[in-house]
Amino acid sequence: MAQPNDDFGPVGVLGGGSWGTSLAQLAATNGFRVIQWMRDAKRADEQNRCHENRTYLPDIPLSPAIEAITDLQRVGQECRLILVVVPSQSLRSVLYELGAHLDGGHLLVHGVKGLETGTFKRMSEILREETPCRQLGVLSGPNLAREVAMGQPSASVVASRYEAVIEATRVALTGPTFRVYGNADLVGVEIGGALKNILAIASGVVYGLGFGDNTKALLLTRGIAEIARLGSHLGANASTFSGLSGIGDLVATCFSPLSRNFQVGQKLAQGQSLTTIAHSMHQVAEGVKTTLSVYEYAQRQSIDMPITEAVYRMLYEQAKPAEVLKDLMSITRFPYEHS
Amino acid sequence: MDSPIFRLNADRTRLVDTVVQRILATKTRSAADVEFWLNDTAFWEIARLEADGSASSQLRDWLDLYRTLGRKQDTEKAALLRSVVTGYARDIVGNFNPQVYRLASRLIPKGLSLLYRRQALQVAGGLDHRITIQGHIDTLRKLCEQGTVILMPTHSSNLDSILVGYALDRLGLPPFTYGAGKNLFGNRFIGYFMHNLGAYKVDRRLRHDLYKDTLKAYSTLLLESGYHSLFFPGGTRSRSGSVEKKLKLGLAGTGVTAYVNNLIAGSAKPNLYVFPVTINYPLVLEGASQIDDYLKAVGRSRYIIEDDEFSRLAVIWKYFQAVLNFEGKVFLQVGAPLDIFGNPVDDEGRSLDPRGRLVDPRSYVRVRGVPTHDRRRDEEYARELGVSVLDGFARNNVVLCTNLVAFVMFRWLVATHPNLDVYHLIRLPGDTAILRGELTRLVERVRDQLLKLHHQGRLLLSPTVQTADVTEILNTAFEYFRAYHTRHLVALVGEAVHLQDVKLLFYYHNRLSGYGLENLFPADRSHTVKGT
Repeated sequence: MAQPNDDFGPVGVLGGGSWGTSLAQLAATNGFRVIQWMRDAKRADEQNRCHENRTYLPDIPLSPAIEAITDLQRVGQECRLILVVVPSQSLRSVLYELGAHLDGGHLLVHGVKGLETGTFKRMSEILREETPCRQLGVLSGPNLAREVAMGQPSASVVASRYEAVIEATRVALTGPTFRVYGNADLVGVEIGGALKNILAIASGVVYGLGFGDNTKALLLTRGIAEIARLGSHLGANASTFSGLSGIGDLVATCFSPLSRNFQVGQKLAQGQSLTTIAHSMHQVAEGVKTTLSVYEYAQRQSIDMPITEAVYRMLYEQAKPAEVLKDLMSITRFPYEHS
Repeated sequence: MDSPIFRLNADRTRLVDTVVQRILATKTRSAADVEFWLNDTAFWEIARLEADGSASSQLRDWLDLYRTLGRKQDTEKAALLRSVVTGYARDIVGNFNPQVYRLASRLIPKGLSLLYRRQALQVAGGLDHRITIQGHIDTLRKLCEQGTVILMPTHSSNLDSILVGYALDRLGLPPFTYGAGKNLFGNRFIGYFMHNLGAYKVDRRLRHDLYKDTLKAYSTLLLESGYHSLFFPGGTRSRSGSVEKKLKLGLAGTGVTAYVNNLIAGSAKPNLYVFPVTINYPLVLEGASQIDDYLKAVGRSRYIIEDDEFSRLAVIWKYFQAVLNFEGKVFLQVGAPLDIFGNPVDDEGRSLDPRGRLVDPRSYVRVRGVPTHDRRRDEEYARELGVSVLDGFARNNVVLCTNLVAFVMFRWLVATHPNLDVYHLIRLPGDTAILRGELTRLVERVRDQLLKLHHQGRLLLSPTVQTADVTEILNTAFEYFRAYHTRHLVALVGEAVHLQDVKLLFYYHNRLSGYGLENLFPADRSHTVKGT
């Protein structure tokens, strides 16, 4: 493996949230210098002073090799590999700004699980539209930020059509507690990552309603079947959904009360409305918007996605979880497992 | 108008030598390599020649080589491989005869003008009125000076390359080189001109790597040497009649390699510029046999059609009379230029990112500051270029009366027979008819939508489609439909328009597929008029 920083200078990280900070920490632990861009100057100062992200990743000491900055230009000028970890709905504007400082040599990898509301575009499509870059990729997998930052053994997938992207990401992030696998199926990995947030909400509902492991396993397996159905329609490779970024991510999500989407589901089960839930959480749960995008797209394209439809009804039509579940259990459309 | 193509003859030896040298450099790293390539090539050549069924001397030579290969010395093997590659390269390499060029540039427009009988003598430059060349013409001229230009036209007829040749001449540009199927050189008349006007030969029967790599090396070298080139990126004529929806970037993919070589060599004009071009005929010479082929779904395996309309001069004659005698026109639309990575390029030849900001094209191929080849990466770049070219095709597709009216008639047919697929529709009896009033209404509806798409920049319209009243659009289309094809596409009986050749209506209709216009025709069972 190449020595840290010889090849591409410092690793750039865009975004000061929990996952961005965890990735910065992974690269820094591997000996890379890291430049982490965030919009909020006060938070950047605080992180540089205390070596801790007190807002999003409290109580985890960060490497001094991470430098928090607010100047996007520096990211473009100094870094070849840039990990983009900003919320899906602000991705476009941040990338447009960054795009002015990029060229064809940059490697852009995003770790954003979501789809653009309204356009149904994948995040890599936004990367492509807002920057001159071609060498694009996605990092996705069962990665709860906090567990990764604490050094618990975990793994992720980096998908790209370009080997340089896969190679650079693997070099930057692979370490004693973190494995990175490559995959050429960019679409499949992005779809798996975006759509599992819908199932994370559903899984929170199941948990909130007090059901056990049978129900969860049912949700998870039929959930991945539904995701693969949409994925194949978009040209993804069906086997991608049985990997870390597909079923792997689903398992982590469905079993973890740490996920924000899961918490949304729990609150739905308690009878809270979407408005109330949104007010009570200071970080966006991507799955809420993803559900809307996917539901509308599936309707337009006539793709049968019963679980997505159920979550949509709870979020946007105030349907009662118990009723939605009853409807799901009485579906007769899929008499065979693989159809 | 300076261009290396005028010096092609003097340059031939260098081209062949360089190609051979480059191929051998990659394929003879060890004695085992040499043997592998000889074996592999012999295997494919023998398989092909045996399938041909002719016991040629060529076959005997290959069989002999195959049998004795094991006993030969390494030096002998290396010499053999060199002679095989040299043979391929010599077969491929083009020729350019300035006299034939001067003759052709005077003859072709005249010849075409003669065919355009009625007004040929009265209207000076009659052909200029019939063939409209429009779009980014000034940028094309300018970028021909600034770098190497690659034209990528849509491909529906063998007349395309002649038409492009004529257009370049009219624009005051030097001829472009291009790879033409070796079978076309067999036509004595056409072949003579192609051979002497810089076209190089692509032998589509040879599918093995050694030949294909030699061909690619030749194409790459031409681009590096500043030869403006013409590639039909669809790989073959569009059988369905639609604008290409998928590309085969085989040779066109050599652009990135040429660009990197230019940078490594420190070339003064390293840039390559790609212009998507659409060629829009109101009627297509080979339309009938193309759509037959498409529907039989043998387009893939029947690569070479020796006996289509293009091989019969009388048919070409009839075709030109039909196309050129009416008010309609052939449109050659030059789309906005792209760099070799598929980025838009401004009038100065500078690459732009999707948001219109300048980007240095060299950055795409530099690794640690050094221009570097990377086969897998460059294949991806070629794929991305293909996406941009397809987008250019869709946006520069010029909708003509025949496309619009055929589209409406075929969609009407589908809507009124919601349970039939295209294979059933083409077998409907010839007395299936639509009333003129209904047709007018539907054409109006589709035209409105086309105007919207045009306004959004998603396609282009011919002046008639854009501004004429629907009656005129219909009459123009009807004239064409009854002018050239052996079987008239429609017959007019009173108020009824009989659909006589659904296959060809389908063919001309396909040019408008991919724009979502089908949604304007909800299934409906109430309008079929049978007989009159």
